[in-house]
Amino acid sequence: MYKYTDFDAQFVQARAAQFRDQLERNLSGELSDDEFRPLRLQNGWYVQRHAPMLRVAVPYGELSSTQLRMLARIAREFDRGYGHFTTRQNLQYNWIPLPRAADVMEALASVHMHGIQTSGNCIRNITSDALAGVAADEVVDPRPYCEILRQWSTLHPEFAFLPRKFKIAVTGAREDRAAIAWHDIGLHLQKNAAGEVGFKVLVGGGMGRTPIIGTVIREFLPWNQILVFIEAIVRVYNRYGRRDNMYKARIKILVKAEGQKFIDAVNTEYRDILERDLDGAAHIIPQAEFDRVARCFTVPASVQPRAPQPLPGDAPLALRRWFERNVHAHAIPGHAAVTLSLKRPAQAPGDATDQQMEQAADLADRFSAGELRVTHDQNLLLPWVKQSDLPALYEAARAAGFATPNIGLLTDMIACPGGDFCALANARSIPIAAAITERFSDLDEVFDIGDIDLHISGCINSCGHHHSGHIGILGVDKDGAEWYQVSLAGSDGSTISGPSVPGKVVGPSFAAEEVPDVIEALIDTYRGRRSGAERFIDTLRRVGHDPFKNAANGARSATRSPNATATA
Amino acid sequence: MKFIDTRQDPWRTLGGEDGPMPSPKPAPHQLLTLEQWHAVREHWPLGLPTGVKLPNHADVEVLEPDLPRLGLVALEFPKWTDGRAYSQARLLRARYRFGGEVRATGEVVVDMLPLLARTGFDAVVMRPGYRQEAADLALRVVPAHYQGDVSVRQPLFARAAT
Repeated sequence: MYKYTDFDAQFVQARAAQFRDQLERNLSGELSDDEFRPLRLQNGWYVQRHAPMLRVAVPYGELSSTQLRMLARIAREFDRGYGHFTTRQNLQYNWIPLPRAADVMEALASVHMHGIQTSGNCIRNITSDALAGVAADEVVDPRPYCEILRQWSTLHPEFAFLPRKFKIAVTGAREDRAAIAWHDIGLHLQKNAAGEVGFKVLVGGGMGRTPIIGTVIREFLPWNQILVFIEAIVRVYNRYGRRDNMYKARIKILVKAEGQKFIDAVNTEYRDILERDLDGAAHIIPQAEFDRVARCFTVPASVQPRAPQPLPGDAPLALRRWFERNVHAHAIPGHAAVTLSLKRPAQAPGDATDQQMEQAADLADRFSAGELRVTHDQNLLLPWVKQSDLPALYEAARAAGFATPNIGLLTDMIACPGGDFCALANARSIPIAAAITERFSDLDEVFDIGDIDLHISGCINSCGHHHSGHIGILGVDKDGAEWYQVSLAGSDGSTISGPSVPGKVVGPSFAAEEVPDVIEALIDTYRGRRSGAERFIDTLRRVGHDPFKNAANGARSATRSPNATATA
Repeated sequence: MKFIDTRQDPWRTLGGEDGPMPSPKPAPHQLLTLEQWHAVREHWPLGLPTGVKLPNHADVEVLEPDLPRLGLVALEFPKWTDGRAYSQARLLRARYRFGGEVRATGEVVVDMLPLLARTGFDAVVMRPGYRQEAADLALRVVPAHYQGDVSVRQPLFARAAT
């Protein structure tokens, strides 16, 4: 993991002191609520339904057991004993009173954590592959680049008040586990024929009201130019992005409207920085700086190549299922990465109690060199597990409730906190997720259904990534009531899902109580029509949407009469 | 950072009942709109201290040939959360080497000061009612940063290496 220098530690403390001053000016009335808002947002503080929400940055998803224990302590002492892991690999608290905000920021700073730029119209926390540095299919480890980008984007003075939020995702493996085409900037590290490292750069992807897939702006940018090139992109966006309508303010709208003109403007700006600006080449990354950062991301000393230990053929079914779904291939022989599932009955997807966080930290210490990852699909992951430890880890994970063998299956759904917590949401997500989890509680059935991405968002802001789900569910508001739009065949860009694409809506919205029936009808249609071991998404693409649409619409009860049908 | 007291400030704009006067007469310390400047620039005397007020949607490039003749460029923050003028200031300094005053006007609040100082502004007209101690603290509370900027051009990694 990245090791904080004295500078990094002092920087985070200074930021905490700055926030304390801003908070005190707000509480004393010197700084109005309206003016405090953008400042608290850039430190991760929203005001939600019940209390402020704090979003803590977990840079590119890497977390130490010490940090996770502090997150547990904050949940216990300042919140109501739990937190929520998000699709952007962050952690959210929902119940911390604002007057205690500065104390929480100081507690976070003590373990080198913060909420800097986890909200607001700025460059947000950078996300990456949860298997970065350990994936068997990795070409280039993205973490040093992520860390250099994190430092560059942190408190960038020119880009703190962009037209809208700005999200960057980086991957360095063959498989895209970071949904990079759905980001404002997506970076795919690769090696050219000469073995040199560079970035494929995508720009202008995003979800929300207008889902758009990113456009390739560079096929291969030498790695050391990346800060300069991103500066060029963000400057063009800051100057020309729309500010008259917040729904048209993301860079995707500018890229789509301007097309080649946008690409030309970025390339001109990039050249101008290097050729015309005072010290314009200062942000070309020197090899020595890259090496300094990369040294933090070495393999832990305890991790040495070992003889592979396959699972015994007579292992019990439950253990075999856990191996199949939650254990992942590793770059180092004799090792595995293991997902701790945060998708289980009676808890919202991605939620963990303080006690569960402590237990996960203990598992990390015992089995994974004290390191964890937060995954894009809202689980935790242990990156450095010896294959010989897997049976013991399984038992320990099971005892702590982390061993549901459902990774990549229907019940491993992505869901935002929705209307239960979020002030933006049109509808609740958690009860929908719970109802579907309950409906599909038979593990044999879930295994039979196989790989499927079910994504649930409580509103069009798309925090639950409904656009990229094989099945997407979107909460909409009509006349003050909660309705749900269902879409089909979206993709996050993974191999199983195919090239990134937004799903297509099946028809008018459904009532909340209809949603589990609709999902069941879609699943039944798949099971009735699949050929051999075909996955849901492949059957859907082969036979077309119509049989699925008809089945979904056939599951209507409350919305069967045309008068009762929402058209949102 | 220079905090402008508007009562003491020599710069003045040339308004009129129907908006800015279309072609002002030469005089020192006039702060002209871009339109006014474009109307007079051909025959405007050299060596007269002159300022131009640039709206935040204007391309700063249009001023490039005139910058050696200007003593002040005033940039605008119609809302303090509209960050376009930071890019304008940065370009004026780093790309066009403008050495005169770059002034922040409009809704300028205390918590913008670190960003202003780092993107090339050297003067501010604060929104009335601010507290100077809060402004001074805002300017010093985070003493150093990762990325290079207009005031400290090298990023941390280059500074550390020297």
